[in-house]
Amino acid sequence: MVTEIINSNWTVSCTIAALCLPLISFILACIIPNRYSWVVTITSLLLLFVSMIMACSVSLTILNNHEYWSIATTWFSLSKVHFTVGFHVDSLTVLMLPVVTIVSFLVHLYSTGYMAGDKNVKQYFAMLGFFTFSMLGLILADNLLLLFVFWELVGFSSYMLIGHWYDKPAAGAASKKAFIFNRIGDAGFLIGLMIIWANAGSFNLESLHHVEIYSWQTAATLCLFCGVIGKSAQFPLLTWLPDAMEGPTPVSALIHAATMVAAGVYLLAKLFFLFTPEALQVVAIIGTITALIASLSALVQTDIKKILAYSTLSQLGFMVLAVGTGSPQAAMLHLFTHAFFKAGLFLGAGAIIHSLHQLEHHTHQHFDVQDIRTMGGLRKELPVTFITFLICGAALSGLPFFSGFLSKDAILNSVTAWAGTSLSWKWFIVISAFAIPFLTMLYTFRLIWYVFFGENRTKAIIGQAVKFGEVPFVMRMPLIILSVCSLWFIVSPNPSEFHGWLYHTLSVTPEDGISLTTVISAGWVLLALVVSYFYFRNRSIESSTSALSQLLYNSFYLDKIYEVIITVPVNKLTALTEKIDIRWVDGFIHATVLVNVTLAHVISWFDKYIVDGGVNGMARVAGSVGSVTRSFQGGKIQLYIFWAVLGIIIFLISMLI
Amino acid sequence: MQPIHHILFLSALLFSTGLVVVIMKRNAIVVLLGIELMLNASNLNLIAFNQLNPALFKGQFFALFVIIVAVSEAAVGLAIILRVYQHYQTSVPDDISELKD
Repeated sequence: MVTEIINSNWTVSCTIAALCLPLISFILACIIPNRYSWVVTITSLLLLFVSMIMACSVSLTILNNHEYWSIATTWFSLSKVHFTVGFHVDSLTVLMLPVVTIVSFLVHLYSTGYMAGDKNVKQYFAMLGFFTFSMLGLILADNLLLLFVFWELVGFSSYMLIGHWYDKPAAGAASKKAFIFNRIGDAGFLIGLMIIWANAGSFNLESLHHVEIYSWQTAATLCLFCGVIGKSAQFPLLTWLPDAMEGPTPVSALIHAATMVAAGVYLLAKLFFLFTPEALQVVAIIGTITALIASLSALVQTDIKKILAYSTLSQLGFMVLAVGTGSPQAAMLHLFTHAFFKAGLFLGAGAIIHSLHQLEHHTHQHFDVQDIRTMGGLRKELPVTFITFLICGAALSGLPFFSGFLSKDAILNSVTAWAGTSLSWKWFIVISAFAIPFLTMLYTFRLIWYVFFGENRTKAIIGQAVKFGEVPFVMRMPLIILSVCSLWFIVSPNPSEFHGWLYHTLSVTPEDGISLTTVISAGWVLLALVVSYFYFRNRSIESSTSALSQLLYNSFYLDKIYEVIITVPVNKLTALTEKIDIRWVDGFIHATVLVNVTLAHVISWFDKYIVDGGVNGMARVAGSVGSVTRSFQGGKIQLYIFWAVLGIIIFLISMLI
Repeated sequence: MQPIHHILFLSALLFSTGLVVVIMKRNAIVVLLGIELMLNASNLNLIAFNQLNPALFKGQFFALFVIIVAVSEAAVGLAIILRVYQHYQTSVPDDISELKD
């Protein structure tokens, strides 16, 4: 008994420490003066390392003894309503804690190499720490309002990081776009919170569990889902994520793998109990649309980071689809595996960009370092990056023996189970769910064939023999760790069975052996690999001008549609209001001013001539009376005598009469 | 005997002349002269009214006193004028206006 209490206290303090260390890293980075900015890289790395160790040990301890805990304190009291906030650790939290801290630490480690020499490196590490802190807070929050606060902080820090190279106009625009798209979603989130507070009277996740199903729940959960649409870049708010590629590549890895976009799926899984079947159908449909749009768009992109961004979108859509089909466990499993292999892919892409950038620097020639048309045959030049990228890519495309296969299998299983055997519209979603891994395989291996195989196009562009340098050790190590984490054993000891140790923490469903779906999906993925080999292996990517590829390249012209539907009318409305403002509001104000000025002149005249005139007149009367009486005493003796005589004469005359 | 009202008319004329001289003239010495004229007008009155009770010559004696006092007064007045002239370099009363505001 005693040991248990000590144990739980230990996990509590460890969790709080894991949460606060990234915040301390942020504060330190803010305090340390610019001259010593190299200190920041060391302190943040160290603090994040400790945070990672603590989070992992907490997770392992809780996984072993299943002691979920929560602590809470009163935030504020409004008459009889006591508002508590606190932290709650459950199976989802236990899963997310190590993911966030490990990926964040590896991104920190990688950034020390990637961002070396950047002039704002201090601010960069500060915001990385803050980002991690916000995400950890979001994971640990035990009520929706606190969760919303951290949710917004995640959005803010992503805004800061996407716009890190703010002197690039595209980066500034991308960060603003990300922020505004998130605001649109968060407006829905906020409305959802209001509906929940008005009806359930509580934000606490534990007490919401005991709320019965009511009619408001569909509306509330759909509003909350709006927040998820913004944060996890679902249809129709998906275009900010490819644009966010303007940020530094490690930031993209962090955003795509463990923090920002994962927050949406995490929220869906956490609030799954609130969702009504109708709301879940909407969730599933939105997820499918997103995944299809994104994976089709990824097929024709030429920017290496944009391909990865669209692949993230399709995987997120896939996860949302899994939640919609009633299996948040499968979604969380995929989120977990996706975090590692997608971070690995982004960091690998960062390594390629980094070495090409250095090449550009050495040869003094300018070319687009992110365009896959300038790459090719890199497997000989960057062997470590190649192998890790291949492993992570295989995991992304869901090849057997990689983690992605198992988590995708979990999702496909849940989708087929949800659709049932009778034919209905749900089978469209099932078909889409099977099409998505196929497309994923196509675009992933299109990228790999193109970047790592074939002849070296960079030499052709530069026109001279060049020597690539493999990236430094601090950048290679995260790649290796992440690619090892993309293998099957991270999920389950059996490479064909996703009901492994990880899934057990999420769900208690019994194992039922290898299902038909697993076999089909394995064969299906291998077929896709063959197709991609024959279709993309020796195919050069020219910027095609056909309507279809243009449609896909611009991701179904969603941005154009937004421009036509929203930007143009808003601009027109602005012009109209400006006109109204100038003509009517300003005119009215000018008229008022004119009336006021006239009135003021009248009052001024009245004041000057009537009020002041009265006062001055009195003074003048007094003055003239004074001067009249004074004139009798002019200092002339003879005049005095004259007056005296006159007075006597008048006196005598009056006496005589 | 002159009728009394003839003398009174002369006296009134003389007094008026003296008064006008006192009021009108600019120089203090002439003003003093005017005062002498007015005193002599009153002397004439005294002598004229002596006719009503001639036995005691009260009027004539009173006039003699007046003449004596007038002489003293003229002496004092002239002395003052002399001092004023020494101080202000003028004997015109209008120019002596130090007490005026």
